[in-house]
Amino acid sequence: MHISEGVLSGPVLVSGAVFALAGTAYGLQKLDFDKIPRAAVLSAGFFVASLVHVPIGLSSAHLILNGILGLLLGWAAFPAIAVALILQAILFQFGGITTLGVNTVIMAAPAVVCYLTLGKVVAKGGPMGMAGAFACGFFSVFLSGIIVALALYFTEENFFEAAAAVLGAHIVIMIVEGIFSVMCIEFLRKVQPGMLPGLSK
Amino acid sequence: MKKLLASLLVFFLLAGPSLAHKVNIFAWMEGDTVYTESKFSGGKMVRNGKIYIFDQSGKLLVEGMTNEEGEYSFKVPQKTALVISLDATMGHADTWTVTLDEIMEAMGDTPVGAAAEAPAVEPAKAEQPAVTETVQSAPAHVMQTATAHEIQIAMEKALDKKLKPITRMLVDAQEDKPKVSDILGGIGYIFGLAGLAAYLHYRRKIKELEEV
Repeated sequence: MHISEGVLSGPVLVSGAVFALAGTAYGLQKLDFDKIPRAAVLSAGFFVASLVHVPIGLSSAHLILNGILGLLLGWAAFPAIAVALILQAILFQFGGITTLGVNTVIMAAPAVVCYLTLGKVVAKGGPMGMAGAFACGFFSVFLSGIIVALALYFTEENFFEAAAAVLGAHIVIMIVEGIFSVMCIEFLRKVQPGMLPGLSK
Repeated sequence: MKKLLASLLVFFLLAGPSLAHKVNIFAWMEGDTVYTESKFSGGKMVRNGKIYIFDQSGKLLVEGMTNEEGEYSFKVPQKTALVISLDATMGHADTWTVTLDEIMEAMGDTPVGAAAEAPAVEPAKAEQPAVTETVQSAPAHVMQTATAHEIQIAMEKALDKKLKPITRMLVDAQEDKPKVSDILGGIGYIFGLAGLAAYLHYRRKIKELEEV
């Protein structure tokens, strides 16, 4: 879900950068010291996850992991994702420097939304918790796709066409992310319950 | 659960360095035709990617679509530097610029830049009309100059042909996959940042303690 350099118009880039800066600043404020190592590990995980490819028919897409980042970091997902994206842009030329803001919003905003809406459900555990974790992985990618389509729409492309293309290409990823989120959360619930949202405070 | 995670980890490590989402376009000249090849990093070809060719001022000259192999070729529309832009949809895009010199050279004209340095070419060209006039009077001489010119054309054709696989290889080499060193470096940066945050935190803590 990295938008390349030279695709989006100026206003979209600028508003993306503003939103990303605001989110990152707020996230940093919310980032307690004892959460920093966790943010770093998850940021590194996110950084590498974009290299992992899942073949989908003729095309392929990579895991994003933004749902898990959101669940485990809350608002701190913004700085974690921003750092990982900066490094991806510099080292791999994924996305680009000018699109950094937009790309951060694309991946971090759904993470925060999932945390705010599903965090408590996931923390409770049980079948509902597992369903919540799945929904978190699924909808974080879904929302990312919607934001990509919106960004393209404000530039020039037809919204429904762009949304259909992006979501169609990522439908398998959504399901895989959902399953992966459930596995991660259930694993943590057994091993490190303190890391789960709600219980961590 | 642990087994699952372990097997997933192995799968990720195996699949890890192979693929990622970034798109590249590469173009080269052969005669008066520009060939382009577009692929995602990781080697997947861009099918039905939109190609736009602009001149330097940004005016659209040619428009087309890549085929199943990610290729697209077009005749040079006019002698100007060409900016070839690829739109692989969903926010993936890349551009490649073919300079005027490259086009002139490939089409057998003197490159703009080289014209001043190599005036010797001009007399050779000026000689050509004279050649046809003197066909009857000095056939031996004509044969020589004509063959020299023909040899040049034949050489260029042969070179184009022979160099084709090498150009191909260059196209393939052009693609820069994320290197393991880059990946590890990136992870290192992230942990370094965490370390920096820890350092700043403890410096503040120590100051607070000293004040008390």
